[in-house]
Amino acid sequence: MPDEEILEKGVLNPVQPEIQDPLLRTLLAEEPIATNTPQEQPQAVEPEADEVDCVVIGLGAGGAPLLARLAQAGLKVVALEAGPWHNPETDFATDEKAQDFLFWNDERLAAGGDPLAMGKNNSGTGVGGSTLHYTAYTPRPLPDDLHVRRDFGQGEDWPVSYEELEPYYNEVERFIGVSGPTPYPWGPARSQGYPLAPLPLNSAAQLMVRGAEKMGIKTSPAANAALSARYYQEGVGWREACTNRGFCQAGCSNGAKSSMDVTFIPLAVKHGADIRPNSFVTEIERDARGYVTGVVYTQNGEQKRQRCRHLFLCGGSVETPRLLLLNELALTSGQVGRNLMAHPGLQVWGTFADEVRPNKGIPGGLISQDTHRPKDADFIGGYLLQSIGVMPVTFAGQVARGRKLWGQPLRDYMRNFNHIAGINILGDCLPHANNFLELAEEKDARGLPKPRLHFTAQENEHRMNAHAEKIMRGIWEAAGATDIWSFQRYAHVIGTARMGRSGDDAVVDANGRAFDVPNLYISDNSTFPSALSVNPALTIMALSLRTADKFLESLK
Amino acid sequence: MSAPTYPSGTVRALLATPHVSDATRTALQARLDAPVAYEPQFLAPETFALLEAVAARLFPQPDRPDSPIAMAPGVDQRLTEGRADGWRYDALPPDREAYRLGLGGIQEIAQELFQTDFMGLNVEQQDAVIQALAGGTPPGTTWETLDAGRFFEEMLAELTETYYAHPLAQEEIGYVGMADLPKWSKIGLNEKEEREPSLSS
Repeated sequence: MPDEEILEKGVLNPVQPEIQDPLLRTLLAEEPIATNTPQEQPQAVEPEADEVDCVVIGLGAGGAPLLARLAQAGLKVVALEAGPWHNPETDFATDEKAQDFLFWNDERLAAGGDPLAMGKNNSGTGVGGSTLHYTAYTPRPLPDDLHVRRDFGQGEDWPVSYEELEPYYNEVERFIGVSGPTPYPWGPARSQGYPLAPLPLNSAAQLMVRGAEKMGIKTSPAANAALSARYYQEGVGWREACTNRGFCQAGCSNGAKSSMDVTFIPLAVKHGADIRPNSFVTEIERDARGYVTGVVYTQNGEQKRQRCRHLFLCGGSVETPRLLLLNELALTSGQVGRNLMAHPGLQVWGTFADEVRPNKGIPGGLISQDTHRPKDADFIGGYLLQSIGVMPVTFAGQVARGRKLWGQPLRDYMRNFNHIAGINILGDCLPHANNFLELAEEKDARGLPKPRLHFTAQENEHRMNAHAEKIMRGIWEAAGATDIWSFQRYAHVIGTARMGRSGDDAVVDANGRAFDVPNLYISDNSTFPSALSVNPALTIMALSLRTADKFLESLK
Repeated sequence: MSAPTYPSGTVRALLATPHVSDATRTALQARLDAPVAYEPQFLAPETFALLEAVAARLFPQPDRPDSPIAMAPGVDQRLTEGRADGWRYDALPPDREAYRLGLGGIQEIAQELFQTDFMGLNVEQQDAVIQALAGGTPPGTTWETLDAGRFFEEMLAELTETYYAHPLAQEEIGYVGMADLPKWSKIGLNEKEEREPSLSS
């Protein structure tokens, strides 16, 4: 206790916890407790005889689509996923705590003026990656999202145009089964409508319609990758419609949410992809020319090696740069870990006389993109507005952190749960020199340095948040809410290995191929040159398919 | 406490119905059945008792005098196993150290303000100690190096999530989202299924 402090040196999450407590230490010395965590032992790694065409690291929105594409092309592919392979029906309880194994719970250090919450906020583990707990909210970016610098003189343009991406958006929406409005009210006319009708509006969405109409703001049912009707999925069979369970920010137990494990991964498996769950990659091996030759990974406590002709790194904006930094790979541009962006995700909550029951229905039910390029904006870029539903534990945690309530006032406020509804934004973010990821000295359970993320919202994000808060408060007041409060948050870590036209200022080219390493590709939101004013999952999947196609072309 | 709530027994009754999946029932029943007595494994007994006392002020439960929802065991178990939730404020030391330093710091605030250990204070005084901590600039040398605001936020968030994960706390706020089989069809304003009980004051 306070009288006998023993400083613990930099280890959290250790495989064998260092015991600080003097009493416990004494007790354990007499009778050690058994630990069921497998212990890492240094060991010689025998090379596997087989060299495969491609290894894919990470099976989220970045890795799964291209894995399927490569397997369909007849290549021999192995996928290494850090987390386990779940059975949604038996593993996914309707309970937030019971599902926290879906989050990337290895500790990341959050630094800067606006430290980023990680884990359930934005990163996942398991066959399916973060799509196992994404809200399935899949709006497309609007074409001008891809050229913020051209339009505003700040930020960065994409080396890929909307026109090049559009066929891939069409394909992804069609394949995974996106429910949404046709025609879509914002942006250019689309060559293809959504394959399924929108999901029904829940009460938060109905309230937002009520308020937005009075404010003259146009709204529409949102696009969600959750099925509004039964849908046939290649490799899976018929998938059942959404049951309005409202648990999208955890795992979907009936497969209606289009996570990778019920869409692209079964397709990949059908075409012969070798999926290896519980496989954590630590090392990327190279030959004298600098080409990747294979990877070393730990599977269920055993160290293994897989040789490959091409490597696809799809670990997300934290694990991807972390692996590059750990292996001193693709660092010539100096951009690995830099340009870290996070979507402004400000939420405004209100209390209504009506019964809301905010846990029912798809959380992101209603959208407005009237704020995509607001006329009165004093900032660059824009944002979307969205009604939000919420699960109780997540909401309570936000109330504690954001509203600073404790004691009886916290319990009293939470008793209004069934009368609370929220709106949030998802806005663009500009890269800034102060926002970056680095390896910390502090080690994790595997003895590897923990990632440290520096994030401080800049003037542009502050102005966007202020603009948005005014509008959201206006909508809720117009809808009849009382006790309105805002929760400042940032979601989706983006941009730590960006794509560009030149290796001088980018890590990968427009096709996802590393400028430094000809047989290394990156496919996830670390390559986004700008954050986009929409959720990233759909674009990650579209880019993933495009990267696969460009790679396959290069083999010809 | 006049806000609406569900009648006592609502969630227990729902757990026995086919509206709850096996996985969900298992998770919730385990929390309902958790033994009252808990022997701390990581924290020293007096440290654990202090954490319990702090938790009792962060979540006062005069309505459950004999069997309050326990929050401190969850913290002790997590620290024992070295589990994390995916991130930590860089401003804080590792969780084990933060809890030990922070709880020691709470004793220090109690001593500075009232010249008595936290456990020896009445509830108003205890609340004053916590308010000083929550305010971000409490007295005591601990807080010269440990960020009081961040520590308080982290501890409060962890206890809050433990509290509201408990079926009885969920009953208290009128949440029956666990009973989601076969589906929710009435999801609009002022709509509810038959299995969603009426609220009572």
